[in-house]
Amino acid sequence: MSELPGSGLDERTNAHSGLPALEPAAATTPRGRTMPAWTRPSLWLPPVVAFALLAVGWQLYAMHNPFVIPTIPKIFHELTSHSGLYFRNAMTTLKEALVGAALGMGIAFLLAVVMSYVRIVERAVLPLAVILNVTPIIAIAPALVVAFGFGPTPKYIITAVLVFFPFLINSLTGLRSADPLALDVLKTLNASRTEILWRLRLPSSLPFLCAGARICVPLSLIGAVVAEFVAAGQTNGLGTVIVAAASLSDLPTIYASVVILAIMGIALFVIVVLVQRRLLAWHSSATPTN
Amino acid sequence: MEPKTSTPSDQADSALVIDGVYKGYYSGAAHVSVIEDVSLVAPRGQFVTVIGPSGCGKTTLLRIVAGLLDVERGTVSIFGESVRRASAAKHIGLVPQSPALLPWRTVLDNVRLPLQVNKKPDSDGSRSHADPTAVLKSFGLGRVVNRRPAQLSGGMQHRVAIARAFVFDPPILLMDEPFAAVDELTREMLRHELLSIWQANKKTVLFVTHSISEAILLSDVVVIMSSNPGTIQKVIPVGLPRPRDDLVENTKEFHELERQIRLELRDSWRGAK
Repeated sequence: MSELPGSGLDERTNAHSGLPALEPAAATTPRGRTMPAWTRPSLWLPPVVAFALLAVGWQLYAMHNPFVIPTIPKIFHELTSHSGLYFRNAMTTLKEALVGAALGMGIAFLLAVVMSYVRIVERAVLPLAVILNVTPIIAIAPALVVAFGFGPTPKYIITAVLVFFPFLINSLTGLRSADPLALDVLKTLNASRTEILWRLRLPSSLPFLCAGARICVPLSLIGAVVAEFVAAGQTNGLGTVIVAAASLSDLPTIYASVVILAIMGIALFVIVVLVQRRLLAWHSSATPTN
Repeated sequence: MEPKTSTPSDQADSALVIDGVYKGYYSGAAHVSVIEDVSLVAPRGQFVTVIGPSGCGKTTLLRIVAGLLDVERGTVSIFGESVRRASAAKHIGLVPQSPALLPWRTVLDNVRLPLQVNKKPDSDGSRSHADPTAVLKSFGLGRVVNRRPAQLSGGMQHRVAIARAFVFDPPILLMDEPFAAVDELTREMLRHELLSIWQANKKTVLFVTHSISEAILLSDVVVIMSSNPGTIQKVIPVGLPRPRDDLVENTKEFHELERQIRLELRDSWRGAK
């Protein structure tokens, strides 16, 4: 691991580990300065070309079939001329998604902690969770509206139920993923259950919790929109805007809402990935390719 | 890092007493015994190595002594106390087969781990534990304290695992084939490092290995186990003078012990068949 003076070893080693890099982690300019990996055209060019081709195809099709999809300028015009409306409704949907996700993921995680310690709770709860997962949640949505009214509560519940199962399974797998030999070391030290949870099981579960969040946070947006579709009479949220626009055959409004939802989905996903990189700097899943 | 004399060893001469231990498991309706009637006494400061064919119950025996498995019959006492009490008092240091370091912690924080859990025995002031940084330096790891385990070579990771077991100064160390997964050269280096550290500290060690030369080089006593069921076949004292270095491996006495242990293991292997 020692560096030979003047050998140039430092240029060929991974900046993080000091170990020889198997693949170049960064592009090198002729002057030898390193550039971030994402500046390499081989990384950003393919998706940009694919996106451009899709946009051109969309525009050409829309110009000849205006009653199937609106043209891109029309969507853009709709977004800019009613930006305040979209912002207000987007915030409503975002709040529903985030509160629902926090609720569902929080309960799922706490339950997973209990299940990982008490097998009998796992045996009791897991079949119920599976039933909840395989039930099309949309089927109980009208009942929730009847029970809780047109306010945000049914939306929180539907979103929470939607994210609950994937996060429960990920948390449970994560909490069980601790290295059994590290567990032996802690047990020999007579570490308490809380100490084992805090020092070993919880950090070991982080890659699984992050993978769960990558699924659940964007999923919560679907939950919120679907809940808004069902809750007739609701006056806010992008789901409601879409339903109202559909009844008026207003395609630009529908697609403008979809664009906002897509941007929100991407933003949430990017935030989750950035948090994951921060939390999991030690883990292989935090490498830029993921 | 000499263990304090106030450990319960004052009440008993022996550091480790294994008496008539039996352990089995159920395979369907049939009961299979893993180890049967195993008895062993290790005086304080002795380096005891257990060697035997695969499946003879070496690791089971070590896990029983570590308090990770319960016995069905027999008793194990460490400095006159039950394993449970010895574990509660942090008298047992374990070095498992793989380093089992926590990948999210730096080398220094990995070595600190034993000081961060079960703090009760540390707080009564009856024992001294070394400064983790100083321990790492003594293991030749002073330059990598802030690295993560994934940034170290396999040999270095094993050294960190041993340092983690030494840092809280347990009077007994249990080592389960700690060098099995490293290459031969690193293995030789680690053996000699362990030997010199042990010579400076003289802890009681129960060491499980597959390697005959490793067993002779390190130990005061080599315990040969045979399988089906796991029993102690023979206990061979190693009378080689200490301190030992790599030259000891070229002596006539070393080769004679090697031959003797190999013959015993061959018998044990034939018996198992």
